[in-house]
This record gives sequence, C-alpha cells and structure tokens, in this order.
Amino acid sequence: MLKSYLKIALRKLWKSKGFSAINIIGLAIGLATCLLIMLFVLDELDYDRYHKKADRIYRVDTDIKFAGNRFISAVTPDPMGPTLKKDFPQIEQFVRFRSAGGLLLKKDNENVQENRVIYADSTLFDVFTFPMLDGDAKTALQEPNSLVLTATTARKYFNTTQAVGKSILIDNQHTYKVTGVIKDIPPQSHFNFDIFVSLATLEESRRNNWLSNNFNTYVVLKEGANPKQLEAQFDALVVKYIGPQVRQFLSASLDDLKKSGSHVKHSLMPLTSIHLHSDKVAELGANSSIQYVYIFSAIAFFILLIACVNFMNLSTARSANRAREVGVRKVLGSLKTNLVKQFLTESMLISCIALVLALLLTFAMLPYFNDLAAKNITLDFRATPWLIPILLLLVLITGMLAGSYPAFYLSSFKPIQVIKGKLAGGFKRSWLRSSLVVFQFVISIVLIIATIVIYKQLHFIQSHKPGFNRDQVAIIHNSSPLGNKARVFREEVVKLAGVENATITGYLPTDSWRNDNPVFADPTLDRKRAVSMQTWDVDHQYIPTLGMEMVAGRNFSKQFPTDSSAIIINESAAKMYGFDDPIGKNLYFIRDINHPENVSTLHIVGIVKDFNFSSLRQHVSPLALMLGDNQGNVALRIKSKDIPHLVSQIEKKYKAIAPGAPFDLTFMDEDFNNQYRTEQRMGAIAISFSVLAILIACLGLFGLAAYAAEQRTKEIGIRKVLGATVSNITAMLSKDFLKLVIIAALIAFPLAWWVMYSWLQDFAYRTHISWWVFILAGLLAGGIAIITVSFQTIKAAFMNPVKSLRTE
Amino acid sequence: MIKIRDLEKIYRTEEVETVALNKISIDVKEGEFVAIMGPSGCGKSTLLNILGLLDDPDNGSFLFNNIEVAHFNERKRAELRKHNIGFVFQSFNLIDELTVFENVELPLIYTGVKSGERKKRVEEVLDKMQIMHRRNHYPQQLSGGQQQRVAVARAVVNNPKLILADEPTGNLDSSNGNEVMTLLTDLNEQGTTIIMVTHSEHDARYSHRIIRMLDGQTVLENIMV
Repeated sequence: MLKSYLKIALRKLWKSKGFSAINIIGLAIGLATCLLIMLFVLDELDYDRYHKKADRIYRVDTDIKFAGNRFISAVTPDPMGPTLKKDFPQIEQFVRFRSAGGLLLKKDNENVQENRVIYADSTLFDVFTFPMLDGDAKTALQEPNSLVLTATTARKYFNTTQAVGKSILIDNQHTYKVTGVIKDIPPQSHFNFDIFVSLATLEESRRNNWLSNNFNTYVVLKEGANPKQLEAQFDALVVKYIGPQVRQFLSASLDDLKKSGSHVKHSLMPLTSIHLHSDKVAELGANSSIQYVYIFSAIAFFILLIACVNFMNLSTARSANRAREVGVRKVLGSLKTNLVKQFLTESMLISCIALVLALLLTFAMLPYFNDLAAKNITLDFRATPWLIPILLLLVLITGMLAGSYPAFYLSSFKPIQVIKGKLAGGFKRSWLRSSLVVFQFVISIVLIIATIVIYKQLHFIQSHKPGFNRDQVAIIHNSSPLGNKARVFREEVVKLAGVENATITGYLPTDSWRNDNPVFADPTLDRKRAVSMQTWDVDHQYIPTLGMEMVAGRNFSKQFPTDSSAIIINESAAKMYGFDDPIGKNLYFIRDINHPENVSTLHIVGIVKDFNFSSLRQHVSPLALMLGDNQGNVALRIKSKDIPHLVSQIEKKYKAIAPGAPFDLTFMDEDFNNQYRTEQRMGAIAISFSVLAILIACLGLFGLAAYAAEQRTKEIGIRKVLGATVSNITAMLSKDFLKLVIIAALIAFPLAWWVMYSWLQDFAYRTHISWWVFILAGLLAGGIAIITVSFQTIKAAFMNPVKSLRTE
Repeated sequence: MIKIRDLEKIYRTEEVETVALNKISIDVKEGEFVAIMGPSGCGKSTLLNILGLLDDPDNGSFLFNNIEVAHFNERKRAELRKHNIGFVFQSFNLIDELTVFENVELPLIYTGVKSGERKKRVEEVLDKMQIMHRRNHYPQQLSGGQQQRVAVARAVVNNPKLILADEPTGNLDSSNGNEVMTLLTDLNEQGTTIIMVTHSEHDARYSHRIIRMLDGQTVLENIMV
C-alpha cells in the first residue's frame, strides 16, 4: 500500500513541477532556517555543560544597595570562598577568580599584549574540568608567580605544549613559571581565558576585606546538597562577617544601613544558567540572553509555519484537480483513512525532499549565519549523531503540519459529487486560505517593521550627541608600558601637527574602567546625603580633549593650585544633591576604603554637561571628575587629512619611549559603535529573517496567483470578449490579493508597534516609532505582493480569449 | 439480489427541493442484465448511486443479498462495495498518474490482496480485455475505447457479483461502443449481474430487461426476448 502511495506521490510531484518546486523550495528554506536556529539554540543551551561537576557548580553573586545605587554583581569579597568552605560542610570546594586586565608577555624580544588573563585559586581544577596536557593539576597554581597556559598559548610562546618548567617575563619585570598546560577551553564557556595566574601571587587575595567585591567565586556542592538551603544561610553570613567590618570602617551597624534602605545580599547562580541568564556587573565574559533563544526560536517556528501554509494553500487550491482522483478511489473501495494516509505520504515525501535541500542550504548558509550570530557552529553528523532523529522528527512534524489539513479536506469529498464534477469552484471564497495568506503577511510585515525600527534606533544611536565629541579621537589602549614617562609622551605627541590635545586616563566614556564610590555632601558622612557615583581620576586636558561641555563653573586649571582638591560633577549628580548653586560647595570622599579615617574634602569648581558613559540603554548616572595621576589610555584629539601618516608618527613616538610594547590604537567612534554590536547583530538578523519570510510568503502567493488565473481562464476570456482591457483584468486579479495584504497590514501594525515599543523600552535614549514606518512597511509588503502576483495576472490577461474559451 | 421498496431521495438546496426518487421499488435477480432508461433528470443516476452504495436513501428499504443496507454508514458501505460491486463510468475515471496495470490493480490493493496474486489477476483480466500490450501505458496514451476497456477491467478484477455501468458507451464511437457492450454481455453470460444506465436504445437491447423511469418513478418495464 505504501509503495502505491509513494509511487503516485512521486508522479504527482513530477507532473506539477511548478507547484512542487514552490512547495519544496519554500519548505527547504523554512527547514534550513529552522535547522540553523536549532543549531544556534542547542549551542546556546550547551554552555558550560562539559564540566564533570557542571550541575553542582554555583557562582556566588552579590546584590548591594548603598547610597541610592544598586549593584548586582558576579563578584564577592576575597574571603567569601574560603569562609564558605570552612563554615558549610555541604561545600566540596571553591575557586576564586580575580580579573587581571591585560598583561604584557615577553616573546623573544617583543612584548605581546595578552588580554585573556585571569588570576585563579589552585583549586581551579577541583571545580572545573580543564584536562591537563602537561603538569600536575593538584599543584599547578599553588605557588605565587606560577601560571597555567592553554595549549594554543603554550605553542605560541614555546612551540610546544610540553612547557612546564619554562619561564616567561611579564610586564617587563616579573618572571613567572609555567606549571601547567591545559587543553584549550571550549568556546561554549561563559569565560574563556588563555592564561591562568596563581591567585597566591596577589596580596589582595589574603586581605580578608569583606567590603570590597573583586572576586568571582565559584563553589561545588557535595552530591545531594541543596543550594536553596545553603542560600538561606547567607543572611546570617553577612551579619557574622560583614557586620563587624561595616562597624569598623563605616562606623555604623548593619541595622543602621538597613534602615537607610541599604542592603548586602548574596545568592547562588547555577553554572549552567550563567550564559543565558546572567547580565551582572563584573561578569567574567559577555554573556548571551535567553531572550535571543526565545526570539530566534519563535522566528524559526514562524518561518517554517509560513512555508507549511504555502503547502496547505497550494494543495487545497488545487483540490479540484485531485477531486476526481479522490472520487474514483472512494468508489473503488478506498476508505477515508486510506486517502488521508496517501495525502500525508505525499506531504512527507515533499518534506523529505525539502530536508535534503535544506541540509545543502544549511551547509551553504552556515558561514554567513555564524558571522551573523557571532558563533562557530558546525553541522557534523558524526559528532552529533543524535541530530539525525531530531531532523527526522522535524520532517515528520513539518509533513504533518503541512499535509494534515489538505489530507482531511481532500479526503472528505463525497465521491458522487466529485465524479459528477460538482466541485469546480474549489478556489474562490475559501476564507481559510485567505486567512492563511493574511497570517503569512502579518508575520512578514511585523518583521519588516521590526527591521526598520531596529535600524532607526541604530541610526539614532549613531547620530545621538552623547555629550562628548567622539569624532577624530584616537585612543592608545595601554599607557602602562610608558610608565612614568606617560606625561613626557603626552607633551611629545601634542607637538605633532594634527594632534590638538591629549589626555591620559583610564576612564573613558566608551568601554573602559569604572569606579563607583559614595560621595558625601555632609562632613559627618551622613549616608542620607550621600550620592553613589562614578569617581574618575583625570587630568587637566580631559574635558577639552574629549569635547565635553561645562554648563557652570570651569574646568580644572593649573592656575589654581587648590584644584588638587577640586571636583567637577555632572548635571545628574548636581540634581541628586539638590544644591541651589553647587559651585564652591564642599563634598567629602574616602579615597581609600582601607583607611576610612582619611576623608578628603573637595570643592566643586564646575558642572559638566551630562555625557553618556554607559550604553544608551541607561540614563546618565551621577559622576564626578577629580584630578589624579591615573593611567590606562592616552586619548588624542586629532585633526588631520592624512590619518595613517599621523598614526605612524604617533606610533614612532610611542615606540621611542616603550620599545617592544604593543601599540594598540583605535578610534573612539568605532569603540562607541562597538558598544552596540548586539543591536547591529539584531538588525542584521531581523533583515535576514524578514527577507526569508517575505520570500517564502511570496513564493506561495506566486503559486496561488498562478492557480487563480488558471481557474478563471474562462471568465477572463468572456470578459475580454466583452471588452475588458489587459489592465482591467490585471487589476481584477491583483485586487483579491491586495485586499489580503491590506487586512494583514491592519493586523500587523498594532502588533508590531507593541513588540517594538517593548524592545525600545530597553533604551533610556530611544527613537520613536513614526507613522511612516508603518506606511513604508505596508507599501513594501503590498508592492512585493503585487509584483509577485503580476507575473501571473499579466500573463493571464494577455491570453487570447478564443484560446481560453476553447479550453473549456 | 437487489430488492428496493418505496425508496425516496430528495435533494434540498436553499430554495428548491428536488425529488430525485419518489417511492421507487425495483427487484433485480442474480445474473440479470438490466438497463435503466429515461430522460435527463429522471433520477436514474441517483438510483444507480444508491444501488452502488455511493449514496444513501432518505426513506425506504434496500436489501442487498438479503441484508438491509439503506442506513449503513460510510465505512460499512465502503466495505460492502469493494467486495461486491464494480463500476464503469461514462468518462472512464481512470487515474492519470497510474499506468493501465496500476489502475486495474487498485481495487485489489484496497481489498488487501497479496502482491503476487494481484499481478496474476490483473494480467489475467488485461489479457481477457485484450489490452495486455498496453499495461505500462498511462490513460492519456490510450484511445477512448481502450480506456473504457481498462475501466471495465478494473471493474471486474475483483470478481464482483454486480457491475454498475453509467452510460458506458457515452463517450465512445459506435464500433468502440459495441466492443464494450460485447464485453459486458460476455461478463453477464459468465454470471455477473449488470445494471446499466443508458440513453441509447441500441445499447439497451443488449440487456434482458429495460426499466424506464420518469420523475423519480418507474413507468414501464420491457422484457427483452
């Protein structure tokens, strides 16, 4: 029986090649999209699962509210790890990480900047699974100044993975010993480092300071231990350990702090949830978001659905052609179930062929998709054989989804009616088919609007005046090799024609250092009058170099020796303090948390206009600038027609002072745009998917139009004989489809508005959704639909009426 | 074999109610060859559909081999139909995507005959219909007469007790038409009961008995000698 089904299905496919092609190509694109997104989602869900103890590893997170600001972070105080292990028997082991920033490693005579460096406890290998290629995991990170390299890094410096015992010069001054080489860390990790330095190297790791949070702490629970139970005891831990230090350093009790609305809380984050569910301060790497998984999955589902709708629509539209066959089969004794099976076999066959095509498409599109999604996904059935049953299931679902409605629809025909030819008008007035077309276009129009709004927001970001001038600013990213000659370097480069100004600082409005501290308005350090804000050490040239504006007062000036205790705050900070005239008012600040008794008194000399120093997703928060000797970057305001020449001149000056140090120069506008990579990626993805959705929907429309024209051949002939022109006929045939697109637009507009309005809420600074966005999307969808349909309608309209009448 | 009593069938559309069969009563004995004649719209096709278990009557009794089938559901009718009744249509109703062999094989597939047995029986009947040499051709490649021979072959391949023919020669020229009528007569002589709807007095003369219908009722029965 199955053989007979397959045979007729194949012949049907072959006989109506056009329709089959539309169905197969549409489904193939839909399946390929689905497959790509499935690979993406599986990749996302698979993060950190390669660790043997993955389901027992948790990160200790911190939630601090102090002086009006809240920090939800992935870091803890340094004693957190050891204390947890000491106090709680259910904890098997802990490991702490401390960010190292970049280090300079000597390779031959060159210094190489390595940014993927981290300090880690020697217990690293008890917690995480990093197979050791050389060295002893138990002792590797015990001694100070020892480090463990990944295989790639070891090969880079020593041309071998057997590098244990070799030494390496770091930052031109300290010699470190290689004590282990591990396999490269899989890309599906929420952190990815090339070099692990023993935490014992850092004095800071033994300070027992509960008030400073700098350590990413991970714990492994013993088998069967309950993380909720452990978490419940964290409040007591805060009282026991943080309480005394709060009293000592802030001369207040925890209860006092609580009363003023402050709090310190700790919680556990499961390792395997971090990648998709954690976006906290001081993450070890940029994480993704479960939102993308949802959005992508929904899009994949909808695109496949659009392709399935094509199949349903074309099959039912052509039902009149199949009706006689159904009738004959029923007369010959076929039961309804036999027919349902036969039609499902056909849709399964189509979906199988589509899958083969989809696999080829997937292989072809994978590199572009990886680019788009910033991934490194491969499709290898030898590595992931379980993908095969999943694919077969996908084919089954697609075949069922696409074939079930036509199957039940066609098989329900009454045999005598169809044999007598009473089912000719199969095409017209099928509200279900019309609603399915509307549905396809609703999705397409929503995607078009989403694309336009995302790009509008990107344009808004790019043209937004962030309160500083990011054009023509060059940033040299490491001033540390310049050492105490940084000022000399600054003086030297400013002399170059084309360099207007220069400033040395670690703090930039684009991605760089941040430093948050309470600044008090009251000499008694009354917390009610404190504002928690960014406190940046800068030099005199900072504001002019970066093109910030003063709204009141003045910039730091060498003419005022007292400016060593001057402070410039931004508008937001001024507003928070509520001074009538802030200029000349004093603020109080503890520079070193370890010496809380040393309170600096600072006088406000100016108010700087608010500038965006975090992403435009957030409002500008309070910020203060103070004079200080801070390093990290050199920012140069340049004005030159020959930028490459200028850059090489600057590099020459840099190398003269710091020979062998890597010279890393970027432009601030690029750095600024890089902060919106996610949005740019979203935009590119939205465009790709809307193109795909429209393409598949139009493929279906093309087929339907062809069929409508074919069905109405006689009517067209009669109308032409009666005097209708080609344009009359074209308009008549197009109108039916245009009506559907208009209905779709009316449904899509509010839906798209709601979706995109919610998306824009993520941005403190955002564009608005103008009315023309909807008009444009509607015109695009309508235009594409008309063009698609017109191929068929014009052809039908030009047909010789004598011929079309004779075909009856 | 067939005994219908006071059979009624009424077609209703929104505005009109058409009485297709008006308390009609007919008997057909096993081995008979009956022709049903009458003007268009007299109800003969409706009658044939009910006799062929393709449609159910609104009222009355229909005994098929002494079983009351008037109110059988679709499934039961299909079951009875595929084992007992063969159909021959005016427009042949062959499936275009299947070859001659496969078209004839279809009823055997639906009754669950094993593949080897199917091949034997299809070849046998194709041979008998003298169409064996066309077994791998598609319907469009055949002449009208050949197509109708295939249709007859398909109707008899299951050895049905009853063959219902709806104007079997309507689409054929006279020599092809005669050929098909000879085929039907041969089958009848081998014991198959045949009920045929026709407009052609010439064809009707092949039968044993002519039932003439008008407005959903029988008006006259001629016994042929």
